[in-house]
Amino acid sequence: MDGIRVGKRIVGTQSPVTIGWENIPKVEGGTFKRLFFTWFQPAVLFGMIAFWYYAPNSIAKFSTAIGIGIGFRIFLQILEFVNPRHKSWQITWKELATDLFYVGISATCVQLVENYIGSDAIIEALQSTFDFDKFAWFTGLPLLVQALLSLFIFDLGQYWMHRGMHNWYPLWLPHSVHHYITQLNVHKGAVGNPLELFLIGLGIGGLFDFLPRAFLLAGAISMSIGAYQHINVRFDSPRWWRFLFNTTEHHSLHHSQDFESTRSNYSNWFIVIDRMFGTCIDGEAELLGMEGGRRMSIREQMLYPFTEGWKAWKERGVREPMFGDHPTAVPAE
Amino acid sequence: MTSLSASGMETFPAPAETPAILRLMQRIWHIRGEVPLPADLATDEAFARLDPLFAHAGTVHARMGDVVLVTKRDQLAQDPLSVVDSGTLRIEPGEQGPTLRYHLVSRALLYCFLAPLLFLAISQLTVFLGTLDKPTPEEIAKEKAKKDKQGEIKLNPIDKFLGAPAPEKPKDEKKDAKDKKKGDDEENEGFSPITAYVFAGIFAALYVLGRLLEPWLIRRLFQRTLTG
Repeated sequence: MDGIRVGKRIVGTQSPVTIGWENIPKVEGGTFKRLFFTWFQPAVLFGMIAFWYYAPNSIAKFSTAIGIGIGFRIFLQILEFVNPRHKSWQITWKELATDLFYVGISATCVQLVENYIGSDAIIEALQSTFDFDKFAWFTGLPLLVQALLSLFIFDLGQYWMHRGMHNWYPLWLPHSVHHYITQLNVHKGAVGNPLELFLIGLGIGGLFDFLPRAFLLAGAISMSIGAYQHINVRFDSPRWWRFLFNTTEHHSLHHSQDFESTRSNYSNWFIVIDRMFGTCIDGEAELLGMEGGRRMSIREQMLYPFTEGWKAWKERGVREPMFGDHPTAVPAE
Repeated sequence: MTSLSASGMETFPAPAETPAILRLMQRIWHIRGEVPLPADLATDEAFARLDPLFAHAGTVHARMGDVVLVTKRDQLAQDPLSVVDSGTLRIEPGEQGPTLRYHLVSRALLYCFLAPLLFLAISQLTVFLGTLDKPTPEEIAKEKAKKDKQGEIKLNPIDKFLGAPAPEKPKDEKKDAKDKKKGDDEENEGFSPITAYVFAGIFAALYVLGRLLEPWLIRRLFQRTLTG
């Protein structure tokens, strides 16, 4: 495969990718369908902001947010049947059961561990050790500024953590298994090793003191932007949306079987962060995964980082030192 | 009749040899069924039609007379038999002509059946860790002070102008006493077993769905494939 030049890099030499918005297929169907799949994402985002901004205190609660989140996921699952992006990504019973297992483990076991060693626990320990209060001034900012700023700062941290995962072997090991997914579906974001889910959840958001409403607003905005990263629905997202936010297209490229394409689009919500650091590629891919699209079982996903890590550790003694007499290939970024 | 054997392949005793109680338990993750062959379809032709079903990645199959043994590993999501890990397909004479009888084993169904137990165990572990991590009186007082402080925070003038509701004022002592029980639950919010209970329920429902849907899909697949 010849590949396509994007800036200084050539992508699509190992697996087909589509580059450029003008080359990406559009939603097919009647006027209503096309309008729906163009404006659904912005309508949900602005609807959510309005709801959480004005909802009375009796409704603006964490339990309401959980209810909306579950309902939204179920609705997106239905949309996968109504307007799938690729037939080769269609959800099956086994795939749904597998995905929900990871969601369940993330929502229970990973959360349990985070009580002890998550970022909030670390920040609390830091505060009690050094006796510094949270950034109290933060709560005096307008609600939307609090929400957006905290999301942006969190995503900036995620961007570098994610980029680090693709560049440093010890971090790549727990993340690598997530790249074995061969299709995108609404719950695929949770598929991976629990260690990675824990690492990617680390952030400095806990340093800031939020108003509860700003926290709920941030949650609603992240849901309304981030739910589409792993989803099998074709949207005609407006141009400004694609410029600002991470889309299925961006993230499918990140999961492509083409190595060079996977080294792009690292951010979680704000693709502008990738644009800032020169790692954004606008395009999409259908063939996803690693090792030619081999599907990894749950058992292997759970063990792989540790077995591969052990193998690498054992090989350290016999490996030639880096930058020795023989030239070694260094991955370019 | 004893089981057929082929190197590296799991085989099963003929249905008549399996004890009734084991057969009942096996219904959890074994899929048995039969599909009558279309008239005038010879055994060789029937297996030839079924052959593409075994051409998916990770599938190994071997034919021994009127029986095909199948094993699968790391099945791709779009493999129409992705829930199957191993099994046998036989063509036997029936009352209304030759019939394809299949006996397939699905670990996915078994694990889905067991998943509610796993999540129930996680819920109990969560409760147990919660009892070990009960907040101290100082921590409770600190949390209360934090909540009181939140009530004192004033909205930014822009939010006030736009009409956003102000943060809740701290509750009075009487109301606090009323909500004591509720408060006790909230104090240990990081150790709530509810999520694990919900997932136990989800997997119980998923199992019922899969147990009904997958055998139906497999039967339909064989029927359609055999009729060409």
